[in-house]
Amino acid sequence: MALHATSSRDSVRAAAEGEPEWAGDASRRPAAFYSAVFAQIEEVGWERLVSGKGDGGVSCLVFRILDDQGRNHLLEITLPMNYPSSPPCLVADVPYLPELQWSKGSRLKDVVCQFQEHLKILQDYWSIMDDIDKVLWVVDPTKPTFAMSHRCIALGDDCYLLLHVNARKPRSLPEVRFLGTDGKLDRLITNWRKYCKKWSADKKFHENLSTVLDFALPPPPSVNIEDDEQVDCGICYAKHLPIDDELGTHSGGTTDYTCENPSCSRAFHSVCLRDWLRAITTTRQSFDVLFGNCPYCSDPVAVKITDR
Amino acid sequence: MTSSSSPSRKALSKIACNRLQKELAEWQVSPPSGFKYRVSDNLQRWVIEVTGAAGTLYAGETYQLQVDFPEHYPMEAPQVIFLNPAPMHPHIYSNGHICLDILYDSWSPAMTVSSVCISILSMLSSSPAKQRPQDNDRYVRNCRNGRSPKETRWWFHDDKV
Repeated sequence: MALHATSSRDSVRAAAEGEPEWAGDASRRPAAFYSAVFAQIEEVGWERLVSGKGDGGVSCLVFRILDDQGRNHLLEITLPMNYPSSPPCLVADVPYLPELQWSKGSRLKDVVCQFQEHLKILQDYWSIMDDIDKVLWVVDPTKPTFAMSHRCIALGDDCYLLLHVNARKPRSLPEVRFLGTDGKLDRLITNWRKYCKKWSADKKFHENLSTVLDFALPPPPSVNIEDDEQVDCGICYAKHLPIDDELGTHSGGTTDYTCENPSCSRAFHSVCLRDWLRAITTTRQSFDVLFGNCPYCSDPVAVKITDR
Repeated sequence: MTSSSSPSRKALSKIACNRLQKELAEWQVSPPSGFKYRVSDNLQRWVIEVTGAAGTLYAGETYQLQVDFPEHYPMEAPQVIFLNPAPMHPHIYSNGHICLDILYDSWSPAMTVSSVCISILSMLSSSPAKQRPQDNDRYVRNCRNGRSPKETRWWFHDDKV
């Protein structure tokens, strides 16, 4: 079954939150609805629930879901008036949403499971986008969201390449547009047409790009400066973790977790945050994820406990 | 001086050592007013002089705080006690133990020695009377053999002082 458009979600929410509607009996949901939803949240895990809004706090639920790489995702699930006969609507920061499989017996945990499966599929796409952001000189967006599949890459001499990566087939030839006035562009456009068949799904994205353009792409401006800008961890006060075999892949690593509260945005080593969450009794664990609060602003945080 | 309570202390971890060096460096650049770090080469135990703020019951009086850091600081709170003689205060026991939530349950790595010191001074400054806690004798009797205040199950009831 296909997903509902986002606009329908807004109207559902408006209906649920609007005072006059709330007062009228017409839009009130049966008591069984609430107990069913509570039971279904329980199945997903209360610690994953970030917020609940509208209609007694259950018609628009936001869950926190971590993917295999420890990226934090927020999944907003809106329950329509005739839920569960009609499927819920999903909103999330992803390039495209999964086709929700919904039947009479489906529950919230099925939605979460399907979304998790969807995140698995998207891992390859995100690792490619991360790679682009790391290796190439990306001028826009400076703070990409998970959903953004475009990148504007500087080629030097005021020339830019606007990339559109196909999130469904991230390893395929991307859509490109060349921007700039320099004569250099003509050569690059010619090369692109000539060599685009050389694009190979087995090679790294930036290697493919260099091959097809027959041009050495400039790296992001001075990586060293970036290291100076690298911020200290709010727990250990260091930029880098100690070099220590016990820390495995994290040995010597930089901060890799930022509090999502925009007025906090404290950076941490996920290792430090995990050690702190393990040290206190109020932390909750669900599978391999620890749920607790930011030591600075107390907003919810979640870290994976697995990868050493 | 009180026999310093040192619960089988392990050396500081690399992370703890690094963080304490940074805290000390920051302290030396801008120490919290009213406090003086007594220079020593022991990073794991700081002794800090605190002078009562003007206009309070403790104006001009000087006391000494002893701060001991656990191996895994800042994942665990430091142990903070007053050295003898401890100020007379409704939340400070005669053996130097301090009833202050941030030293125990409410500790967070977002705090620092400096911020803890400021909290302690503010606790002194808001004191209504120079007196010991009601259960002082019983508590101190139970703490013999240099038990750490971190082993006490504190009950934080008074949010006024």
